[in-house]
Amino acid sequence: MDRECVSLLPRVCEVLRGSGSSLPDDTSLEKLLDWFTGLTEAGGSVQETCPCLLEFISAVVLKTSSDPGVICFTLKLSGLIASTEHGFKTLQGSVLDMAFNPQHWRDAGLWEDPCIRIGWIQGLRNMLQHSKAFTFFVQADFIVPLLQLQTDSSLFVASAANQTLAHTLVFFQPGGNGTFKDHGKVERTQTSISDEEPFSQDYSSVLGTISQFLKESLLPKENTGLHQSQQVLKLLALLLARARQPLRDKLLGTVADSLQELVAAGYSQLTPPLMDIILAAYSSSSTDDCVPDQRVTRLLSSMLNITKPSDLIGAAAAFLRGGRHHQDTVHTAWAVRILLLPLHIVTGQTLLGTDTTVEEHRFSIAEKLKIKTSCVSMICVCLTHTPPITLMPGDLLPCPPVSILTAVLSLLRIVSGDSSSLSSGCSEVFRNLVGSGKVQKCALEVLTGLSSSPGMKDKQTEVVTVLIQYLNNPDSDPTVIHKSYQALLKWMSVCEDVSSLTDNFKQDLIDVVKKRVCDMRWEVRDSTVEFLGKLAGVLKQGEETCGALLGGCWSTPLLREALQDPESYVRASAISALAQTLEPSWHQGAAVTQGQTDIVTRLLEILSQDTEAFARRAVVQYFIAWFSSRSSHTSPLSSPSSSSSSSSSSLRTNSVSSVLSLGSADLDWEVKVHTLELAELLMDEACSGHRGYRKGSDTPPALRHPYAVISARPLGEGAESDLAGALRNLVEQGVVWALLSGLVDCDRPVGLKACQLLITLRDTVCPRPPPGASPATAAASKVSCELPGCGWGREIRKIPGMKRLDRVKEADVAHRTRCGEVGIERTSEGGDSVCVSVCDILSSLGLDEKLDELSQSSDHVHNSALSLLQDILTASAAHTQQDTEPGQEVIVDCY
Amino acid sequence: MKLYCLSGHPTLPCNVLKFKSTTIMLDCGLDTTSVLNFLPLPLVHSPRLSKLPGWVSKDGNINLEKELKECAKRVFVDSQPEFCLPEKELLDLSNIDVILISNYHCMMALPYITEHTGFTGTVYATEPTLQIGRLLMEELVNFMERVPKSQSATCWKNKEVQRMLPGPLKDVVDVWAWKRCYSMLEVNSALSKVQLVGYSQKVELFGAVQVSPLSSGYSLGSSNWIIQSHHEKVAYVSGSSLLTTHPQPMDQSSLKNSDVLILTGLTQMPTANPDGMLGEFCSNLAMTIRAGGNVLVPCYSSGVIYDLLECLYQFIESASLGTTPFYFISPVANSSLEFSQIFAEWLCHNKQSKVYLPEPPFPHAELIQTNKLKHYPSIHGDFSIEFRQPCVVFTGHPSLRFGDVVHFMELWGKSSLNTIIFTEPDFSYLDALAPYQPLAMKCVYCPIDTRLNFHQVSKLLKEVQPLHVVCPEQYTQPPLTQSHRSDLMLELQPPPMPYRRCSVLNLPFRRRYERVYILPELANSLVPSEVKPGISVATVSAVLHSKDNKHTLQSVSKPPPAPPSKKRKRVMEEPPVVQAPKPLLSGAVPLEAFLATLQKHGISEVKVEETADGHILHLQADDTLIQLEADGTHIVCDNNEPLRTTLRDLVLRFLQKL
Repeated sequence: MDRECVSLLPRVCEVLRGSGSSLPDDTSLEKLLDWFTGLTEAGGSVQETCPCLLEFISAVVLKTSSDPGVICFTLKLSGLIASTEHGFKTLQGSVLDMAFNPQHWRDAGLWEDPCIRIGWIQGLRNMLQHSKAFTFFVQADFIVPLLQLQTDSSLFVASAANQTLAHTLVFFQPGGNGTFKDHGKVERTQTSISDEEPFSQDYSSVLGTISQFLKESLLPKENTGLHQSQQVLKLLALLLARARQPLRDKLLGTVADSLQELVAAGYSQLTPPLMDIILAAYSSSSTDDCVPDQRVTRLLSSMLNITKPSDLIGAAAAFLRGGRHHQDTVHTAWAVRILLLPLHIVTGQTLLGTDTTVEEHRFSIAEKLKIKTSCVSMICVCLTHTPPITLMPGDLLPCPPVSILTAVLSLLRIVSGDSSSLSSGCSEVFRNLVGSGKVQKCALEVLTGLSSSPGMKDKQTEVVTVLIQYLNNPDSDPTVIHKSYQALLKWMSVCEDVSSLTDNFKQDLIDVVKKRVCDMRWEVRDSTVEFLGKLAGVLKQGEETCGALLGGCWSTPLLREALQDPESYVRASAISALAQTLEPSWHQGAAVTQGQTDIVTRLLEILSQDTEAFARRAVVQYFIAWFSSRSSHTSPLSSPSSSSSSSSSSLRTNSVSSVLSLGSADLDWEVKVHTLELAELLMDEACSGHRGYRKGSDTPPALRHPYAVISARPLGEGAESDLAGALRNLVEQGVVWALLSGLVDCDRPVGLKACQLLITLRDTVCPRPPPGASPATAAASKVSCELPGCGWGREIRKIPGMKRLDRVKEADVAHRTRCGEVGIERTSEGGDSVCVSVCDILSSLGLDEKLDELSQSSDHVHNSALSLLQDILTASAAHTQQDTEPGQEVIVDCY
Repeated sequence: MKLYCLSGHPTLPCNVLKFKSTTIMLDCGLDTTSVLNFLPLPLVHSPRLSKLPGWVSKDGNINLEKELKECAKRVFVDSQPEFCLPEKELLDLSNIDVILISNYHCMMALPYITEHTGFTGTVYATEPTLQIGRLLMEELVNFMERVPKSQSATCWKNKEVQRMLPGPLKDVVDVWAWKRCYSMLEVNSALSKVQLVGYSQKVELFGAVQVSPLSSGYSLGSSNWIIQSHHEKVAYVSGSSLLTTHPQPMDQSSLKNSDVLILTGLTQMPTANPDGMLGEFCSNLAMTIRAGGNVLVPCYSSGVIYDLLECLYQFIESASLGTTPFYFISPVANSSLEFSQIFAEWLCHNKQSKVYLPEPPFPHAELIQTNKLKHYPSIHGDFSIEFRQPCVVFTGHPSLRFGDVVHFMELWGKSSLNTIIFTEPDFSYLDALAPYQPLAMKCVYCPIDTRLNFHQVSKLLKEVQPLHVVCPEQYTQPPLTQSHRSDLMLELQPPPMPYRRCSVLNLPFRRRYERVYILPELANSLVPSEVKPGISVATVSAVLHSKDNKHTLQSVSKPPPAPPSKKRKRVMEEPPVVQAPKPLLSGAVPLEAFLATLQKHGISEVKVEETADGHILHLQADDTLIQLEADGTHIVCDNNEPLRTTLRDLVLRFLQKL
């Protein structure tokens, strides 16, 4: 622990003991407790490091006039300290007895405050980590108040009581060394507690009390209503999920009959918690590799035969969702049938074959489907479960998976109002479904999900026909259209051969896309443009079919048109889509068409003029996509300037510096970060292969293996000497400018990224030992760049190291002419721009310190424990001052 | 009360309501779908149309080469187009007292009724209905008269011949009722009979009924009608809309509590949602223009076109169509665009408030100002100078049989770059295109019908709660092509009464009450006596005087005092002495009290028997029966008059005399 913190703690305790109302905000105590918890979990002993805490605890426990918040904190803290046996011993005796005696707080009239109750419960929960604590728990007979709190009027208290009860039974259950994991906290291994005889007696008595309680309170009584049953069911689910034998058996034995009775009573609200219990019992039994308990199976059978249709569907859905059904083929097959029944009724598809077992539910479900609200929700529940159903083994299904797909397609047709193709089905239900957006969206999602099920390939043509109908339907709302596109992409990506689709389909698709790209609703235009981009991605995977569907490159003109869209999202999507449609030929320095040049010109226009950041971000990413795919196709060392003027390389050279200078001067920090990513790409391209160059600036130096081979490539003299050329190239392209201006940017992510990149660059071009060691780096050290006299240039020069460099420069003014030999000398209007060697700059900026500074999050100071303690002290000081002026207190609610 | 149905077309109704002593015609729609059987009337000579082969039956027996032409395997009548009129034989139309018009689309048959049937009544309509109706009629007459056709084909109508004809011609009915278009003279004469009314204005018809128009939200000045007497109310709902387009919103609350609601003019496109169609319209338009093609929109010169222009006004910029010219060609284009701007009081609130800014309520004014929208009376003249392609042309007639649209069909039909977008729902687009086949031009069908759909109408009816609903039979079953769509029909309890052309319906309610007025002096002389708390009764002796369907009770005039005469008047000449009416009895005889009274009078042996309507008291000693019932008391007592009188008096004690 920080010494400074330790020294502050006594004063903080003093403040807390005084009054809790002077805390800076109501989360301070939570933060403080988190800090202590962290310390304990790290293996520290809080009470030894800060003995003042013990004193504080006993003082607060005695002084019942403290703020309830502080008492709550104290209870939790004492539980935390007592969570180790050592700590427990320290507190044992009067402190623990008094702190955890509910009567003590009742006498003080504080028990009514939920704050105290929750402190008490969580303190206990923290403490119950070893047998001594458990014995204390039993001897003090805390089980009775804890059970009472299980139905507390405060939901938080009730839930915490449930958690603690479950924890107590599960954590101390006999039989093997189990681990108990709670809310992601550190796992604690249970010691072999169960061997101790008196302990086992204690445990039995607790188990007995809880079992009795469960049995008695499971069935709703008139005065408590369903609330208590729900709470008890939740507790049971918690217990059963983690209980091993014999605990599970004991629990089930106690409650099975009551549960059966509860199922028979048919309370709709209890269906989900009942299913939770069944699934919990199932899941815990499967970990023990034994067959499910007969009692659970019987309970499940009853649940899957409830007469209320919506509960029945809910139960079947919950069972399948539980995922633990593979051993229980009988019930799985039954649940599948129940879930398919509504689809069977509505679409008239024979999904259930000749199976008449679910026939008894048919009538009630059909009646329920005639009511609009229940119809839509029921169909949606059934639909969402169809994709996993189709993946089940065939013997569990009443029909081949492809029939389910056919039913979903029929449903989609019905919902869009096209019932002409149907010969059967329930027309009274149709009126509830026609035009229902909810069902449309759900069914389209399911259709997407079904694409990967076995045996669906043959239906591809039918699926795309329905999807194109949806895209064509004037009444489809934007989300429906979006989902249709997604489904279409998915189905096109899974099919092995896009060319198997008919020409008709292709023409229909082209027609509908052309229409939708002109839609009045920008959301639709956006989805369409996005689709075009992704389609290109899908088609690229199967190169051959690319021509078949993108024949005549019909999509690029549409996208180019979309660059003019009045809605910025659409422009941004169009740019991203264009990036995805970049053709491989363009990457390889081939000749460019006028259209391609136009696109680049337009993109630069957007980058410089567009008022919306989305579009500008997309432009920079377009160039990243373009350059990165290029770099994978061309030799990294080929100089771009050597290509012919009409090639894509020259187009690239012409655009790169514009992108970098526009992007790094942008107002949006994401655009700037993307620009730096582009700069990184160019750096990678220019420097990869040079000794010391580390691709991927995000890897912190510390993680590198110290003996790692830096480059597998043998470094020839030529390659080394070209380092200067590469660096000069980077200066010319404006990469160095972009990095330097990023370094002093006011947005931290920009500065961080720039700093990381500059460090990489420094380590490559001017590694220590100082330049001059190798001829290549010596040459590189002569490359210079110009710093502008104003703006970020001035900011850079304010950096201490740079000031020194400036002075050297001034002294060395006679040598400035050398710039002409190795660098570019620009004269700015201000006239005070300076030309400095890149290596000099890189080594003078103090990049490593800068990196440390930038790596810390902006609130790191604010979030430290020290800061918290100081805040508490300051607030208290302010409070005492304010006390002199009553009524002037300002209550700050931070969260 | 009777309803005579003269038209079978659900959206172009023509019904006659006989209510009390009045005969009211509800709308006067003209079914123009008959023109689809005719060849188009080209504005400029069309070699294609003139070269079409004449039709001769396969066996050569019937030769109608001159009357019928074959085009793309269909037969068309080569003659001046004719319209299907409302039925004239069902009742004597000269008896019609008034005609109520609900919107300008439903008055196109007016000249046929007012000018050729001996009609002498009045036509009631709102001002925009009259003015825009006039424009539409003027346009129709202009379209017809611009391309006169001397030939009038009648041979094909011969029953024997028609039976042998192919295709749709064979099946058309009432062909002898088809008539050529009226003249401008007839239009003017018919419209001179129109009397203007405003929304909620009450018009008395002969003192018998009151009619009043309500806003229906469908088009400028469109109305539903309430026809009511003091005790009965009939609501007539014609084309109505709940969408927020340009007209004033629909007045629903005034339709409440009607005895009969006659429901016509629901949407013809129940599956096409107007919003979706508008979107479709815009995207197809933009797509064609971007590809360098022209867009043809066959439409009426008023109505949906205002909404289309408004929608395009917003869409032009986003679809970068700023430079594309929009042309509106119609003989009445100018008036239509200008009229729409001046009927401020008939517009929706949003548009009304613009007028006070002041700004034109419709944005097409700005389109015209900025030269994006240009309008011309016809393709001749200035238009040919300005004409620039690619462009968008709005022009009539939507049937594609006459009007300037015929020319554009001939001009643009051959190129697949061009698109025709149908927005009017009145005509089947496939039938409309039939005489232009084969056609390379793209066709898009975006029917925009803002009238009530089934969902909206069932909600409306649930709210206004009419006792009975009468509607065209088409609304009582799902469309033939979509027999599964039970949501596309009216399902009501009690079921609606369907009608078809030539139906005569006895509307299922009886008039039970009539309002009668009492003159003050007579009222003054009444002596009311209270029978129940709050209800008093008085007997009246008076003379009922009925005039102009108003009934008044007047006091019986006393004979004038006999003038002093020397001659003694003869007894015979004196007016009959009016006898004072017998007092009326009211009340009920309470059984227990009555038995007690009987006992007081020494009648104690009474056997009481309970019957369905009351009680029978058997006075066993006297062999007498007293029947006490809700509306009468009988004493059956033979040969014992004193007892009868006593009993009578005892009964009377319990009753009130008036």
